Amino acid sequence: MQEPRTSAKRMSQTQAAWLLLAPFLITYGLFLVYPFFRGFWISLHDWNLLAVAFNPDAKEFVGFRNYERVMWGRNIEWGFASPFWQGLGVLGLAASAYLRRVDRLSRFNAIALAVASLLLVVLPGFHPGEDGRWYDRRFWPTVGNTLLFVGLAVPGVTISALLLAAALNKETKAMGALRTLFFLSQVLSVTVVTLIWQIMFSPRQGLIANITETFGGTPINWLTDEQFAMAAIVIATVWWSLGIAMILFLAGLQDISKDIYEAAALDNARGAKAFWYVTLPNLQRTITLVVVLQIILHFQVFGQSHLMTQGGPNDTTQVLVRYIYQTGFRDSELGRASAMAVFLFVIMGTFSVIQFIVGREKK
Amino acid sequence: MKHVLLTAAAAATFATGALAQEVTLGRFFGACEDAGTDTTTSTGEACIIQSIINAADAELDGISINTLPTDWGNYYDQIKAAYAGGTPPDVHVMHRHRIPEFAGLGALAEISGDLEAAGIDPNDWSPAALDAVSFEGGIYGVPMDFHANLWHVNMDVMTEAGLVEDGKPVLPSSPEELLAHAQQVKDATGKDYLAADFAQFPIGVRLVLALMWQQNANIFTEDGTATINTDAGKNAVTTITQLFDAGLANPQLNYADSQQAFLNGEAAILVNGTWVVDFYTAQAADPAVGLENYYVADFPTLFETGATWADSHMWAIPSTLEGDDKMAALKVLAFINDHNIDWARTGHMAVRKSVVESDAYTSLPHRDEYTGTAAIAKDTPPSERYGAIQDVLNRELQAIWLTGKSVEDALDDAELEVQDLLDR
Repeated sequence: MQEPRTSAKRMSQTQAAWLLLAPFLITYGLFLVYPFFRGFWISLHDWNLLAVAFNPDAKEFVGFRNYERVMWGRNIEWGFASPFWQGLGVLGLAASAYLRRVDRLSRFNAIALAVASLLLVVLPGFHPGEDGRWYDRRFWPTVGNTLLFVGLAVPGVTISALLLAAALNKETKAMGALRTLFFLSQVLSVTVVTLIWQIMFSPRQGLIANITETFGGTPINWLTDEQFAMAAIVIATVWWSLGIAMILFLAGLQDISKDIYEAAALDNARGAKAFWYVTLPNLQRTITLVVVLQIILHFQVFGQSHLMTQGGPNDTTQVLVRYIYQTGFRDSELGRASAMAVFLFVIMGTFSVIQFIVGREKK
Repeated sequence: MKHVLLTAAAAATFATGALAQEVTLGRFFGACEDAGTDTTTSTGEACIIQSIINAADAELDGISINTLPTDWGNYYDQIKAAYAGGTPPDVHVMHRHRIPEFAGLGALAEISGDLEAAGIDPNDWSPAALDAVSFEGGIYGVPMDFHANLWHVNMDVMTEAGLVEDGKPVLPSSPEELLAHAQQVKDATGKDYLAADFAQFPIGVRLVLALMWQQNANIFTEDGTATINTDAGKNAVTTITQLFDAGLANPQLNYADSQQAFLNGEAAILVNGTWVVDFYTAQAADPAVGLENYYVADFPTLFETGATWADSHMWAIPSTLEGDDKMAALKVLAFINDHNIDWARTGHMAVRKSVVESDAYTSLPHRDEYTGTAAIAKDTPPSERYGAIQDVLNRELQAIWLTGKSVEDALDDAELEVQDLLDR
């Protein structure tokens, strides 16, 4: 019998781990970590895309001036400038304190609600005072549009995907086919999706206009009407990104034991009642996961706005990534664009952290 | 068999490597799949330019041309990114208004010394064409056309409204008359007088700019002061908004929809560029299309001085190109320059004197109907931030006609933002 090789020639477990991790770490470092820090570095410069390409010395270190130029202004004051949002924030703060006191809210949820409410009180309070102005008049409205988009798209996707998943969660061939059908839109690229919906929304040849006309209504100019443009890109987005959320919900639904439903049925809870009292509570973690993933995903919205409405009309569908893209490539102001990108990173980073914390809470 | 194939493949590689110089070509104008190599029969911008490129590929010895994707929307972003990454196309199309930005940074090759060797005679270019490709004393491209906003007219609607005299449309000479004509068309036919893309593509901006220039005003001065919230600005905008307010034009149509409305015969006038003359001519000949009697008119003068928005397409090569690559690229430019008459078939105005004077040019469909356009062609002062400035105007003007923002507020905001851009 042969002796096993000496341990000196064998790799230790740690060494093997590093070796196996190396390809990932190198790729990750090269294509994610390095570009991130490089982006931050660029954001500290006055950096013209073309000029620096032809003359590397054409950049100038300006510290945090890009951030100031993008996010701040002259004579900015703080006060109760938007009573609605700030009022809502105050209410949220009160609610979190009260609910925590009477123990209707976990500590984590109470803190989350309080932080969100506090931001709502503080952030909308900034406004230019007399003779003052924002240096970049489009940045905060663009952030607002992005938030509105996320605020509409995320519940839209989550609720419709949840209802679809609940309806399609049966072991029949027809349901299998339908599941595939609903997932199909997910595999399309954004160009195809926006093309389909541009045709759908067209007031002359679109399906929606035809239906409206059949019922005697005047077709809506979805993409060029201030009141409908955002709704239009949200509808297209919901249709597009339903699939993944639905699959996640289906997986979650299949994890719920049949026994619970049987027990519920004995207590006369069927259909909608069972959905409310059994399905929803058991899906809580999946719902959180879907919501947070969708938030992170939809903050990066670009194609729908860029291709369907070009950010219009009057900037009502201008979103952050499109603004970053325009600033960087159309206007060649890479430094400024990078500063905005860092801002977007902070927002998405926050939600990733929330997801991380939620994911670790009570296994 | 395998050997034969391998040898053939090797030979092919060797042959192309040794003989054909590949020239990458960047352009917009959209895609044309089966353009062929016949430059004299193709229709529409995309197919005409592609047939010229295909012909160059076939006829120029030792040169093969690789046309890059031809998408419109992000063209300049792509070109910029390509330059920044050090891989610009060997030849690319651009507008004259982009020269300050690209040539100013040293991206474009100065080619005044190479033209003759390549077989291009700059003396044949009209003075305005030479001016279009010149920057700080150098020549940075080969001009291909002048294009401008025109009034495309549906003569049947105009006849019905009594707005035709001696076979020509009667066009307004003041804002008041514009409103009166529009009302006349509405009363007689129930149709809109004027259609244009006011909602997305900046045709509406170009309309307002023309109306400002017609009052001898501009949106900013050569020394970089924005002058938008002025009487001239307000006059220009209200000239248009009076039509919307009276329900005689629809501001919500985008490019495709406004064009469709005109082709369906639902509007008397479409404001659009020279680039669609041959396309609309072909459409008017099609019995299935609502538009039957098509006429092209110069942009009418509603104020003191004639003016219409205009620009130029030109071909440039990157400053980094050298030796054989540069010579090959110049040959492609020369070939395109030689086919100026084919490109003029789109409806664009030619840049070469010899072409403009030729019978082939003057006898192009509708050409005699807009001969005044060349003299009234105008553009904003040169700026590195042309694109961003257009975007500001487009946004604020859309705010007026699509979202009911007051003219005063919108022009005020536009002036502030354009000033910000000029100051940056």
